[in-house]
Amino acid sequence: MEDKLVEFANLLRQNGVRVSLAETLDAIGASEVTGLAERDLFRAALRATMIKRASELPVFEELFDVYFTGLGEIIKGASKAVQDALSMSDQDFQQFLDEMEQMLKNHGQELSELAKQLLQNNSGQLERMMRDAARAVRMQGIQRTIEENYFARALARALGFDKLEQEIKELREELSRLDLGAALRAKMEEYLDRRLKMLDDIIRKYVRQEREKRDMKAREEQRMNQLADKSFYYLSDEELEKMREAVTRLAQRLKNIIAVRRKRMKKGRFDIKRTLRSNLEYGGVPFKLRFERRKREKPQILIMCDVSDSVRNASRFMLQFVYSLQDLYSRVRSFVFVSDIGEVTEHFRTNDVKQALDVALKGDIINVYAHSDFGRAFRNFVGDHLGAVNKRTTVIVLGDARNNYNLPHDWCLREIKQRARRIIWLNPESRNTWGFGDSEMERYAIHCDLVEECRNLNQLYRVIDQLVPR
Amino acid sequence: MFSSIDEVIERFATNKYIASRRIATVIYLASAMGKPVLVEGPAGVGKTDLGKVLAAALDLEMIRLQCYEGLDEGKALYEWEYAKQLLYTQILKDKISEVLVGTQGLAQAVDRIAAEDEVFFSERFVLPRPLLKAITNDKRIVLLIDEIDKADAEFEAFLLELLSDFQVTVPEIGTFKAKQIPLVILTSNNAREMSDALKRRCLHLYIDFPNKEQELEIIRIKVPEAAEKLADEVVQVVHALRKLDLKKTPGISETLDWIKALTLLNVQSLDSALVDETLDTIVKYEGDVRKAQEELKEYLRRVRTRRGGTAAAGPGPAGSTDKDLLN
Repeated sequence: MEDKLVEFANLLRQNGVRVSLAETLDAIGASEVTGLAERDLFRAALRATMIKRASELPVFEELFDVYFTGLGEIIKGASKAVQDALSMSDQDFQQFLDEMEQMLKNHGQELSELAKQLLQNNSGQLERMMRDAARAVRMQGIQRTIEENYFARALARALGFDKLEQEIKELREELSRLDLGAALRAKMEEYLDRRLKMLDDIIRKYVRQEREKRDMKAREEQRMNQLADKSFYYLSDEELEKMREAVTRLAQRLKNIIAVRRKRMKKGRFDIKRTLRSNLEYGGVPFKLRFERRKREKPQILIMCDVSDSVRNASRFMLQFVYSLQDLYSRVRSFVFVSDIGEVTEHFRTNDVKQALDVALKGDIINVYAHSDFGRAFRNFVGDHLGAVNKRTTVIVLGDARNNYNLPHDWCLREIKQRARRIIWLNPESRNTWGFGDSEMERYAIHCDLVEECRNLNQLYRVIDQLVPR
Repeated sequence: MFSSIDEVIERFATNKYIASRRIATVIYLASAMGKPVLVEGPAGVGKTDLGKVLAAALDLEMIRLQCYEGLDEGKALYEWEYAKQLLYTQILKDKISEVLVGTQGLAQAVDRIAAEDEVFFSERFVLPRPLLKAITNDKRIVLLIDEIDKADAEFEAFLLELLSDFQVTVPEIGTFKAKQIPLVILTSNNAREMSDALKRRCLHLYIDFPNKEQELEIIRIKVPEAAEKLADEVVQVVHALRKLDLKKTPGISETLDWIKALTLLNVQSLDSALVDETLDTIVKYEGDVRKAQEELKEYLRRVRTRRGGTAAAGPGPAGSTDKDLLN
């Protein structure tokens, strides 16, 4: 049992749940308290000891079902199927089994362990034998579907299937020689046949299940890595949805990290006034020392997103990310532009993020079907909204800088830079293409403090990480 | 202690707390293994109540520590009673002079005093705070550490020694070991993540919002005077509200407040005008109130069209109640 729990802990770790050694020990202790008989109880014991974050619960539930269902259920299911095929009630079946046992005893011939357990319907023993055989053929190494047949044969051989077939054949011959009623004999023959077939089925199902378990681990990992590295351009609808969830999760993770970071602030100088005041009850004797606390400033963010077709997905996730982290900033103002520029801050304030994003990207604020004209957008911004920028503001521009050969008006960026704390430009295009064709990236980059490529989720995360307060 | 999970459920029910099997299992494990429980979940699902009910169910005393930002060792663990020490020093000035009689020079005097310093750094002058009280109690108790996510990360460090070995070290005196291991319940609203070290020492329990049947059951037990029909409607609406994106999702305590308010006002069903005025018992923010009103209208419209449909099919046994609703 401990081996199984350790293996299960490993499985959880491979799926992103950090289970420590101490927690695995707790799980073993808890499972001793609850016992293994009741599945729900056992599940609850494992859940309480191994899963310490609510977000990991769904992963646990899925893996538990896959890992702990298993052979026992398959065997029981198969036995039930045999019973139904013979159309016997539970009582009749039990009686039948007793008669079978009797017959085997009278038979006198030594049957193999496998035959005995199989024919007497001892699911527990059968399960144990199969597991031992599986370990002997190293079934934990199974990876691909094409290996199933190989392992099924190996398992059968390890169990002694061939010998079993021989024995069943002999038993049938025995039966015909014994003095039994016709009906009973027919039933027994059928029983023998079905049992043999049942074992065959069980072996196959077991092998398939083990393969699926291993496969699932690999698949899940792959999926997550792929999503984070997938360029924003090439996302299908389904992936868009998954990306949205991933962004929410990343934002939450980032918030947690920030919360811990903040606490590690250094204390300031010794504060005489506060010390004296708080020690008045002790007659001024400084039992308690007080220090100055450095004020944490929440930065302000002003974000300008290009929402033309080519860049829309990147803008979408950037906006979503920034708004999920809203509580970390004292003020977030957002603008969208293609050729015109318009403010969308209010929409994020009143609606929830998803609705606001739709409004911002759809074309209700500005004309999204125009051709990109960064110069014009910047000029309008400087004309109408420059007041929004002050020395605490970090300005983020998200765009591919492809100006369609319009006037770049990069003096606007210089204006903004003079007033702002810093300007960050995020370009969803690959760095190799910057400066080619109608890209004005190099001209704009001169006025920016930081220019980063921002094509997929990982890069987005790294950028945001730099933005948050220390 | 508990002998089985069913006993947990039973005893909790006697104390008016509907514990799901999941909750009961973790409580049973905690009492059998002697490990603390970290209870997480949205606000208003009964995490703090869990601690109180556990104490009542086992007939034990409960010591509560409410956490907040800036909570430090002095307020949570123990403090030296400086004022008392000063006072004693002043009063005993003469006695101290007597002790110092015959000493030659400062070094000897200091040595003489140092020999007596156990007097002033003894348990007598330690002001025990909740955590130390919990450890030094003669009988077994329940320790409820409420809203630990509001405290800062340094505070968690004090708890680590406490939760793993159930002992507290006071540098000047020594180590206090718990005579009886207390049952510790920590609650968290998930405002921030607990450190891994803390989580490792606890069993974890996530309490989510109940399903409709469970919530009805809770209403039946806690607000028995509420009409069954009204309770049913309230549960339907609250569950619809929980699916919306509200600033603060209504919890079980909000449901109970609402139905108590409605019952007090003698409201029979949710299409009364009074209902609008009671909405701020379940939703606490401006924007949310608007959304709740819309949802309520939506719900009533659905109910009306459904009932209207059956009424159009012909007067049946539900005929008279339809008329009531449509009026």
